[in-house]
Amino acid sequence: MSEIVLEMKNIIKDFPGVRALNNVNFEARSGELLALVGENGAGKSTLMKVLSGVWPYPTYEGDIYIKGQLKRFRNTKEAEASGVAIIYQELNLIPELTVAENIFLDRQFTTSYGTINWSQVNAETQKLLDDLHIRGFKPTDKIKELTVGKQQMVEIAKALSKQAEILVFDEPTSALTDKEVEALFKIIRKLKKQGVCMSYISHKMEELEQIAERVIVLRDGQTIGDVTPMAELTLDKIISRMVGRDIKDMFPKQDFQRGEKTLEVKNFEVDHPDLPGEKKVKNASFCAYKGEILGISGLMGSGRTELVTGIFGAFPKTSRGEVYLQGQSVNIKSPADAIKQGIGYTSGPPLKFESPQEAINHGFGLVTEDRKAVGLILGQSVLQNMTISSLETVANRWGVINKAKERSLANEYVDKLSIKTPGLDVAIDTLSGGNQQKVIVAKWLNTKPKVLILDEPTRGIDVGAKVEIYNLLNQLVEEGVTVIIISSELPEVMGMSDRILVMCEGEIVAELSHKAAKKELIMEYATGSRKKEA
Amino acid sequence: MSKTLQHESTQKVLQHENMQVVLKFLKENGTLVALVVLMLIFSFSDESFFTPRNLTNLARQTTITGIIAVGMTMVILINGIDLSVGSIVGLSAISVTLMMQAGLNMWLAIPLTLILVGGGIGLWNGFWIAHYKIPPFIITLGMMTIARGLALTFSGGGSVPVMAPGFRQIGGAFLPKSISIIIILAALVFFFYSLYRSIQEKKKYGIEVQKQEIMTSAVIAVVGLLLAMWVFGSYRGIPNPVVIFVVIVFAGSFVLRNTKFGRRLYAMGGNEEAARLSGINIYRTSLIVFCTVTVLSALAGILLASRLNGASPNLGNMFELDAISAVIIGGTSFAGGIGTITGTVIGAFIIGILNNGMSLLGVPMFYQFIVRGLIIILAVWFDVLTKKKKG
Repeated sequence: MSEIVLEMKNIIKDFPGVRALNNVNFEARSGELLALVGENGAGKSTLMKVLSGVWPYPTYEGDIYIKGQLKRFRNTKEAEASGVAIIYQELNLIPELTVAENIFLDRQFTTSYGTINWSQVNAETQKLLDDLHIRGFKPTDKIKELTVGKQQMVEIAKALSKQAEILVFDEPTSALTDKEVEALFKIIRKLKKQGVCMSYISHKMEELEQIAERVIVLRDGQTIGDVTPMAELTLDKIISRMVGRDIKDMFPKQDFQRGEKTLEVKNFEVDHPDLPGEKKVKNASFCAYKGEILGISGLMGSGRTELVTGIFGAFPKTSRGEVYLQGQSVNIKSPADAIKQGIGYTSGPPLKFESPQEAINHGFGLVTEDRKAVGLILGQSVLQNMTISSLETVANRWGVINKAKERSLANEYVDKLSIKTPGLDVAIDTLSGGNQQKVIVAKWLNTKPKVLILDEPTRGIDVGAKVEIYNLLNQLVEEGVTVIIISSELPEVMGMSDRILVMCEGEIVAELSHKAAKKELIMEYATGSRKKEA
Repeated sequence: MSKTLQHESTQKVLQHENMQVVLKFLKENGTLVALVVLMLIFSFSDESFFTPRNLTNLARQTTITGIIAVGMTMVILINGIDLSVGSIVGLSAISVTLMMQAGLNMWLAIPLTLILVGGGIGLWNGFWIAHYKIPPFIITLGMMTIARGLALTFSGGGSVPVMAPGFRQIGGAFLPKSISIIIILAALVFFFYSLYRSIQEKKKYGIEVQKQEIMTSAVIAVVGLLLAMWVFGSYRGIPNPVVIFVVIVFAGSFVLRNTKFGRRLYAMGGNEEAARLSGINIYRTSLIVFCTVTVLSALAGILLASRLNGASPNLGNMFELDAISAVIIGGTSFAGGIGTITGTVIGAFIIGILNNGMSLLGVPMFYQFIVRGLIIILAVWFDVLTKKKKG
């Protein structure tokens, strides 16, 4: 057995209100690839940040040993010096600079005059690429001209040029084509021969079978079981380690009578923002009904968020498809809306929202995935955040807001959703994640939505607040709102939805009923190890 | 023994609480305090400063940039900037005087200038900014030269005299003293009435009434109005541009505080993507905002031409500097989303007082530029400082 290069012992990392890592233990060996698997939110990224010094000692507890030596990194530089390199999903290259410039950024060879010796920089880069058998681009090519796959090779070369001995890949294949994946695996095999210790975070089980020697599973911030040789574990066993947890009480699901069909989406497509010709959502069709919660499951990057955000009208130029609204009375705000709605009612040409405003006017609401970046207006008051989407409910026809009415309305929501806040005028930033989320839900409730879409409604929220959000969802369904939830957390999506759509690489690959949905089955669909039935 | 200790400690707590109140007041009304301090300094250093005559002049001068600054507040609130306002002042002054020279009635020339110069340039700026997402800095920087070039072209480089005798009245005349005093008294009554109304409203919906806040605003309003009464009542009455400025300030302040449109500006400035996903029409809103500032600038140009009884193509040079400074000094955040018109008005008067006071004291023009530049830097530094503390 080869030498243990990296050992992490009893790692604990707390964030305010959440324990992200709870006793993580594993070891990785030289010349091998250790697969690190777990659901989204299991703590993989946090673990990588602890290892790479992004979270410096002592913001975490526990010990990191590299080649038997205790290491306590105070910053990323120190981790780098100890031979740790991480290839993140988001590549850290400067697009306007060349391959060689990126690899030897800030460490260029100089001439005796102190100027940069470009020919040596380029020659060294070429040597590095040759050693790794990387072909297809030159050291003088600009990064922005390379495909994502090639950029990743540059990252790997850069890490190795810094004498990295521990290489961690964070879902490296999520943006690669099959050919590029093959090329990457070739390099990984070569690195194994050179004795590099690698760790590989991925959801894609097929890939792990191909290249991983051992596997460790992370769940809820804990390592489940020991590092196990890949040969001794079946995929089923890995998946059950990933998801196995008793969840009965967490999800107060109520069953309601399924009502009429309220929403039908046909052939919805969203273009990839960066790759021309590629699609984030391919040919998605589905229906939603009154009286049920529709769940959408899938891995991060599978196109879930793009699908619902596109339906909501946020990508007017890069999305196509048909949206039918049925059996609803719809707010008509303008002649254009009236015409469109008239068409939408009958069996004629369908709707497609060209702006979020239009979607809202038709009774849609969207609780966005990234609360801080695109959900909240940080720095502004709870009140302002709560009423921004429904100002017409508190304003007269001249657009003048009745402030007292607004406040009393907001106070009603504070009571109804039991939002814990010192007042309506405090900045939204000061509330806990759960209460921030409740403010956003209140914001949409006051638009009296017919269809409410919640993208990762409980991300970064403690367990108690989660259950409160779930109860709220039940209440909404009871009131006749069509609820759609997206969640990376399988137990959540399984516990709360009547039907589950599973997405994989932009496609809806399965529709499962509440009863038929098994964690393993969803995982198999989501990871692509089970294909769509024709 | 223990009693005296206790007594001392309660006294300390009381003192501490008082300190807290004072500190809070200073923090929330820092610019107002700065304004008062500046006025005191200039009053003591030059006896002609604190006279009705000089203060009337000061008010007249401040209103021109003040009107622009009201629009600029909205622009900066949505994280924009408009550098073309000074040139628009020049172009609008030239346009309105040329139109009248060509025989157009003044009541036709004024709205035409507002629409063509103000509205036209605003739509142009807003279109490039909202439709092509080009940074407002670039678009308005270009417009700054374009508008100045147009003003020079139309006027042939020389100044244009005003022929219509009535035109001078708009920017140059005063409301009669008696009417001025009646208006100010009415304002005082109206202020207390609306204060009473808002307290009643709050009580009706069971919202806590903040006594201290009400006291502060009442004191500021009473002192301000009494000062206005003394200044305008004992000299020549309220100057017309001041009346227009007050109307614009109240309208702007009302829009920002009490309307859907105002709320949308704050939301857009705070987080544009979140605002868009909340259903706000970003395109239309920014178009309206960029038009507002240009129309107000065109109005400022008309008032200036009227007061000077003529126009030169170089009118309004560097006004963008004063307008932006007023907004920033008034506490509007350069990052958008935070700011008030009231603050901007105070900022405009701080700049007005500085310019006026330094001129009275005979500070050379060269130094005045340096001081004005430093004031802007100080104001932004203060903005950054208070932001950091919050985070």
